[in-house]
Amino acid sequence: MTLISTRPGPGAARPYRFPKVVRRGVAGGQLVAAHLPGQSLAVALLLLDAGAGREPQGREGLGGVLAKALEEGTAQRDATAYALAIEALGTELVAGLDWDSFQVSVQVPVDRLPAAVELLAEAVRTPRLDPDDVRRVRDDEATAQRMDWANPGPRADAALRADLFGAENRWGRPLYGDPETVAALEVEDVRIFHSEWFLRPGTLIVAGDLERLDLDALAATAFAGTGGGAVDRGGPVEVTPRDGRKIILVDRPGSVQSTLRLGHPSPHRAHPDHVPMRLAGTVLGGAFTSRLNHLIREVRGYTYGIRGDFVSSRRFGRFAVSSGVQTAVTAPALVEAVGEITRTQQTGVTEPELAVARSWLAGQLSVELQTPRAIAAALTTLVVHDLPDDYHARLRAALLAAEVEEVSAAAAAHLHPAGLTLVVEGDAAQIRAELAATDLGEVVTSTR
Amino acid sequence: MPDSGFPWPIETTRLDNGLRVVVSEDRTAPAVAVNLWYDIGSRHEPEGQTGFAHLFEHLMFEGSTNVAKTEHMKLVQGCGGSLNATTNPDRTNYFETVPAEHLELTLWLEADRMGGLVPALTQETLDNQRDVVKNERRQRYENVPYGDAWLRLLPLLYPPGHPYHHATIGSMADLNAADLPTFQAFHTAYYAPNNAVLTVVGDTSAVEVFALAEKYFGAIPSRPEIPAAPDGQYVPGAGVATTETVVTEVPAPRVYVAHRTHPFGTAGYDVTSVLATVLGSGRGSRLYQRLADGERIAQPDLVGAYGVDLAYAPAPLIATATARPGVPAERLAAGLGEVVDELATVPVTAAELDRAKALLSTAWWRQMSTVEGRADTLGRYATQFGDPRQAAERLPAWLGVTAEQIAAVAAEVLAPADRVTLTYLPEESS
Repeated sequence: MTLISTRPGPGAARPYRFPKVVRRGVAGGQLVAAHLPGQSLAVALLLLDAGAGREPQGREGLGGVLAKALEEGTAQRDATAYALAIEALGTELVAGLDWDSFQVSVQVPVDRLPAAVELLAEAVRTPRLDPDDVRRVRDDEATAQRMDWANPGPRADAALRADLFGAENRWGRPLYGDPETVAALEVEDVRIFHSEWFLRPGTLIVAGDLERLDLDALAATAFAGTGGGAVDRGGPVEVTPRDGRKIILVDRPGSVQSTLRLGHPSPHRAHPDHVPMRLAGTVLGGAFTSRLNHLIREVRGYTYGIRGDFVSSRRFGRFAVSSGVQTAVTAPALVEAVGEITRTQQTGVTEPELAVARSWLAGQLSVELQTPRAIAAALTTLVVHDLPDDYHARLRAALLAAEVEEVSAAAAAHLHPAGLTLVVEGDAAQIRAELAATDLGEVVTSTR
Repeated sequence: MPDSGFPWPIETTRLDNGLRVVVSEDRTAPAVAVNLWYDIGSRHEPEGQTGFAHLFEHLMFEGSTNVAKTEHMKLVQGCGGSLNATTNPDRTNYFETVPAEHLELTLWLEADRMGGLVPALTQETLDNQRDVVKNERRQRYENVPYGDAWLRLLPLLYPPGHPYHHATIGSMADLNAADLPTFQAFHTAYYAPNNAVLTVVGDTSAVEVFALAEKYFGAIPSRPEIPAAPDGQYVPGAGVATTETVVTEVPAPRVYVAHRTHPFGTAGYDVTSVLATVLGSGRGSRLYQRLADGERIAQPDLVGAYGVDLAYAPAPLIATATARPGVPAERLAAGLGEVVDELATVPVTAAELDRAKALLSTAWWRQMSTVEGRADTLGRYATQFGDPRQAAERLPAWLGVTAEQIAAVAAEVLAPADRVTLTYLPEESS
């Protein structure tokens, strides 16, 4: 048999071009759209300044409950009639939030987009919010969260977030709240949050074949009956890493794996080191051949996968590593993960590793930005973070131009191995003594 | 109604060694999707070797004659690409999406592991990936509430010896027993060009791909005898309802109702797909309207129904619901069974049918909206039905399904005597 032994080089590069961005003010709101010629599906997404960061202290989970309550009937029709109307168009209302925004969207064959946007606007602007329905949705959401929190992960995530940012701050508590905060929400909380944040126009994002769409008509539908202007979104929050490592043990008796969440605070989204930080994170824990995945999975076989990254929102950020490792190897996996973070902070990255990271992240722009949903998400990034229309082109150039020195400098400045919070969710009776023996940090047991 | 669910060109060829090549040109974006379907899944595994097809999928990323260990991932990600592989009862697929200028590299990598895996396979690699797969089993099936439902449903639906009797992830005992010669023989038996379909979709041409396929795959010899999986088309019905109750650490009672329907690709399964959408997809579905909204006995986020698209035996239809607090499992199971029963007795309305077809249309076009989605679809139809062009027929077939057909299929395959019911109960309520 003859296999060809010489690895082929690349052909002529065919550069990716992000679709042309259309932006204009319509009917009091902002419209941002991208043209995807020939695409049979289209996406419309209404972006509201109503992210988790807007939830009042002690009312965590409000946005999540409101997201569900939007579909419990509108001024025009009851919940069943609404479900049948929107699903007859071939779509479902997708509503959710992150720290910076609340997003409601529909995806339909392009000729059905006007009707789908009408229904979207109807739910967002004129939900019935009947008190009995809101209480039922709240109870169902609390139950759904209890179901979710029975899985490994949410408790560890909450313990990490609280230690990084302080449970006294909104951003030190879970994005969607927890089963207790959701259960404690009142009907009035939901109604007030809606009237405060859901009747401002916001931004309508459209991705699809614009030759078949009347953008102004879509925007007029989305912004009808709205008022009020933008509200100050607050500046970056200064958070310093802890002084000395700490292990937080979250007991999960009988667990056959230990869930690891390692992290510390990191800069907000607009920080000038955003690109080199992202590349450093990719070398350490992003790519399949990252240092962490290579050692912990491919060499040791401790896990199905381990990843680490820097994630940031407008006001704050965090570096975190997450994995699930077999119970018996919890301590060595933790020690070796901390070792790789330390090594990366101290000695930086190498050119071969960086070469993979930069061309992977740059290439992903052309590979991933194919669908209306992906383009709508990219447009959302432009709006939330006040980025220019040519941001994706600039990002590609910045990724490809990043040198070893600046990425290593970002790793040195923004990784804090000595200030890591190490959360381990697993069978405490089996792993506590071994964790204590690692000398990675004091072991404390989480009370929740 | 569209005439076609695939309005892009499709060109095909077959190399002398039997490798089928499918190309669909689309110059919209400068990316190409490369996809290989190997006709080897867990249905081929003999007793004592469960989980081997999937463990083998892992080994395919660990190096081959001209590709060092870990280099495969490094080269694909290092050119900007995405990649992965999956194994199911029917088949194993491998896929990459890369910027178009790296098409040739991707084909070289795929050819090298098709033709040159055995010499690079070491005991160390096998041991490492066996540990990784055992951790995958823990993470996905053992360490999460209800995680083993699929592992429990399959043996209830399919009798011992049936190719779908065991789950693809396999048993820990069989994984522990796996030795190197067995895996070398596994590759020799199944990873042959005449047991595979290579599909390329995107910013390239059939002429270019056919030439590159010949260049890189052309010298890999075909294998005269590829062992067939056991025939599973006929599954004897149990004649009585099958039930299993698991008392374990779960947060709420949950019920799964499952039936054997028709094989994927048949007219009966097209009806089943529409039926499943009427039954359990979205807030307008019968299950949501009856159990989550109407009686309010099921948690709204956790009620639904779906078919599992398996092609070589009557495929499963699974409906599931999780109890709201205070609702006993018996009441939930009775409600779920009742809604399933009514598919045969309460005619599906025009509105229900239109809703289901609209949702299925969007789902179809969402799959078609990426080059990798199209490549996997073409690879499936070429492998399972011998012709990628048949992919175009699926959406029109769904759109042609009538209420009468749904009632007839429901009466035929959803009878209570053919039902499998799996119930999870929290430990404290036992």
